[in-house]
Amino acid sequence: MNQTELFEIAENWFTQQGWNPFPFQKKTWKAFLGGKHGLLNAPTGSGKTYALWFPIILNHIKKHPDYKTKHKKGLKAIWITPLRALSQEIKQSAEFVANDLETQMTVGIRTGDTSTKERARQRTTMPDLLITTPESLQLLLASKGYTKVFQDCSAIVVDEWHELLGTKRGIQMELGLSRLKTVCKDLRIWGISATIGNLEQAREVLLGPTSLAFENSVLVQAKLNKKITVKSIIPEQMETFPWRGHLGLHLLEEVVPIINNSKTTLLFTNTRSQCEIWFQKILEKHPEYAGEIAMHHGSVNKETRIWVEQAIRNESLKAVVCTSSLDLGVDFAPVETVIQIGGPKGVARFLQRAGRSGHRPGKESVIYFLPTHAMELIEASALQVAVKESAVEDRLPFLNSYDVLIQYLTTLAVSDGFYPDEIFPEIKQTFCYQGIIEDEWQWLLNFLVMGSQSLKTYDEYKKVEVESDGKFKVNNKGVAMRHRFQIGTIVGDASIAVRYQKGGYIGSIEEYFISKLTAGDVFTFAGRNLEFIRIKGMQAHVRNSTKRTNKVPSWMGGRLSFSAQMSKLLREELYTADPDNRKQSDEIKALLPMFQKQREESIVPKPDEFLIETFKTRDGYHHIFYPFEGRAVHEAMSSLLSYRISLLTPITCSLAFNDYGFEMLSDKPIDIQAVIDNNLFSTDYMLSDLQKSLNSNEMARRKFRDIAVISGMVFTGYPEKGVKMKHLQSSSQLLFDVFRDFEPDNLMFQQAFTETFEHQLEEGRLRLALERIAEQEIVWKQCKNPTPFSFPIITDRLREKLSNEKLADRIKRMTKILTK
Amino acid sequence: MILSSEIQNETFDFHPHGGIFWRKKSLLLISDVHLGKVAHFRKFGAAVPRKAVHKNYVLLDEIVNLFSPFQICFLGDLFHSSLNKEWELFENWVAKTPSEIILISGNHDIISPHKFEQLGIPIFEELLLENFLLTHHPEEREGYFNFCGHIHPAIRLQGFGRQRLKLPCFFKTDSQMILPAFGEFTGTHVLQPKKNDEVFVIVENEVLKI
Repeated sequence: MNQTELFEIAENWFTQQGWNPFPFQKKTWKAFLGGKHGLLNAPTGSGKTYALWFPIILNHIKKHPDYKTKHKKGLKAIWITPLRALSQEIKQSAEFVANDLETQMTVGIRTGDTSTKERARQRTTMPDLLITTPESLQLLLASKGYTKVFQDCSAIVVDEWHELLGTKRGIQMELGLSRLKTVCKDLRIWGISATIGNLEQAREVLLGPTSLAFENSVLVQAKLNKKITVKSIIPEQMETFPWRGHLGLHLLEEVVPIINNSKTTLLFTNTRSQCEIWFQKILEKHPEYAGEIAMHHGSVNKETRIWVEQAIRNESLKAVVCTSSLDLGVDFAPVETVIQIGGPKGVARFLQRAGRSGHRPGKESVIYFLPTHAMELIEASALQVAVKESAVEDRLPFLNSYDVLIQYLTTLAVSDGFYPDEIFPEIKQTFCYQGIIEDEWQWLLNFLVMGSQSLKTYDEYKKVEVESDGKFKVNNKGVAMRHRFQIGTIVGDASIAVRYQKGGYIGSIEEYFISKLTAGDVFTFAGRNLEFIRIKGMQAHVRNSTKRTNKVPSWMGGRLSFSAQMSKLLREELYTADPDNRKQSDEIKALLPMFQKQREESIVPKPDEFLIETFKTRDGYHHIFYPFEGRAVHEAMSSLLSYRISLLTPITCSLAFNDYGFEMLSDKPIDIQAVIDNNLFSTDYMLSDLQKSLNSNEMARRKFRDIAVISGMVFTGYPEKGVKMKHLQSSSQLLFDVFRDFEPDNLMFQQAFTETFEHQLEEGRLRLALERIAEQEIVWKQCKNPTPFSFPIITDRLREKLSNEKLADRIKRMTKILTK
Repeated sequence: MILSSEIQNETFDFHPHGGIFWRKKSLLLISDVHLGKVAHFRKFGAAVPRKAVHKNYVLLDEIVNLFSPFQICFLGDLFHSSLNKEWELFENWVAKTPSEIILISGNHDIISPHKFEQLGIPIFEELLLENFLLTHHPEEREGYFNFCGHIHPAIRLQGFGRQRLKLPCFFKTDSQMILPAFGEFTGTHVLQPKKNDEVFVIVENEVLKI
């Protein structure tokens, strides 16, 4: 069959549905059938699944003209999704097409939710299309004889690639692909990504910068000009609107008319706990919504999530309170309105959420922004500009993550074993490890086999063995089992299953929250009030309770930072607060009372001013700096500055930061005049100072936690499976100390520092920010009370600590307070 | 830096490594060394730095050389795990250490008592010396002052400017002294002192009374 005939099959199908294929879909089909690899840039709900599933089928038809009568079983394509919640949806669309075209192709899912029985069945016969997650793909690579399973696979589609890019799961994907390129005889690799700043790079990372695949690839962009309208919910009573907070419940009543006027509304919250609270409060204040609103987040059990998704499609719900769990995939035509509660911390995410509404072609997407505190109104105003200019941020890919490589090599050693000479060139082709040198490679191999760089007789280190023909192989069953368990834990804390005593599964909660409860405590979870009974076999038993409670499990979500572009927009919005400015947005106008309050003790900085505020509260001496450069830059700058101050005088302080500025809180006042006189914002020696500053705080220590888990140095146990390995559990904190004292040159230990440096602190942006500050006039305001600007920062409890004082001195000061 | 204190009219020296020396008896008390832990982890494929194995013996030598005790009493959890090759290092250490060694067994001490007896180390469930009771798990017994381990005590300190510190410590109540874990690569458990409790924190090679 030639291409025209194949296209006819596809277009006929579209006609039968009453649809017309989009140009980007046809373009993708053509490129795919022409043997190209590529990246498709298309938003959620635009028909991206059909853009890639069709050519996979057509390619199959092309190669098997008798496809309707004969069918050879076995894996033909893999669809990777970062969220297992999405797999069901993809399966349905894929099966729909496969059946209509009478291809006899089967579709299967393999994720953490898949039953052991189903897995076993897949082991003997794989479905034609396998929908899976990056972790589950790694697990397949860890099973014996995997090359046979994959050899006839002709396509891999990595869906929502932007979500994986810039994460360690993304590296897992890069490595998995590097292997499959060799194993699969005729493979096409495609990614699907929402709009991000660095789409070209995203393609390079997916395919490997020096690979043939990259050379033979295209970027297809779906240019669907969709109108997005952003509306801020502005509080009527600005005077009583809080200066801080993250819940936004003050504006709950403003949300009600929006929900009433729309078919289905999605309310996006930033954390699962916020989601629980909003759901509770809406029902409490408006019981008439009972049965018409629902909640959806990642810890709610699968059945409930699927039910909610189905109910949205049936239009049987007025509103759903959700988290990023509904960001991706799933297409909900009936959603008319989206409300974002609190800053979305990212233009790309905000746009994606806005795109959840008004899916029908030609309809505009409406998104309401609900600020949780006054300062967020500035953000709201900046977001509108950002949406207009599509100022979308980049996702930075990792480089040289040795921990993921160690995990991957162990994976290969667990299944069929590997020969370093065969694997090294594959790894060199990936983006992450393009710069790896022979010495490092040898170091990693030594580490795998000996757990160090030299052999000692008394050492019983056991992991990977080198067989006589040079094959690296894991032969110990215990090592293999522990490793397979560990693959899934690339992110996340230990979680505990929450069940009713009689066995009904409700969801999972992070262990640390449960550990704080005692029997009889009542907490809110999955929209219910539950009484905690006991922990048994790594499960928390609960019963329903009628008691009211304010205990809501919190999940440690990553805190995102504003991009350079967004920070600039934010500053520009702030500068319009100047009373002489006539062109102010409604948000800025509404903030007038707050600006007045701010001006009482301090200033609202102008473009040429850099504001520093100091004041004392019973918490200590606050020193607040306002660069308005985004969280990441503030984190770096506070670390740098406090290090430089510590060179002038011994100091202990805790650091807090948000997207507007950062705070140094100390038990003694810091001499700001000395900071100004000594030019501590200088870019001179910035790099080495920043490096040194990392030794004195805990950022690297925290990074090390993940590294230790991923590289298999710390076992987390497997609570959900009831596997405990208490005798092998140690805290990564302890391990960090041991490495610092005994093996500081260990590559994994070093990685903790480079990661902090390159990924968290964004050194390049820091330099630009300092250069900007150098041109500004420093305005130091000594205030009597906290200012409105300072409020969200000083009330932040998540802090970095830094000290270069002698511990004994600090303790003596502390005890003086204790005994006072 | 050593700190001395009186308990029941006897003088005890508190060493920053985590040992207590009873002067009159020339008895050195050490708890929760967890020897073999590093080797145990490595045996199971967790690459804890190998050099850390030796640190415990260096610390033991330092404290033994300083006090030259007649007897050393380990208050349990001397070995972290089942037998591994670190036992050989321990054998060597016992052979070259002139003091008498006794062990109160702890929950981690699962190695056969015969292995200890072969080295001339007697094992006890508990030991009564004058009006002192030596155990692994903390115990209350009328008329006795209890020395014990097991808990790995630490204390949290707070200061102005939201400062916080967690430090390992010797934790003393009216009738009990819980020793800190001696071993490198052991965790801690935070205790809340009550009114009459005394806390001696270990900080930068010093013992400080809080």
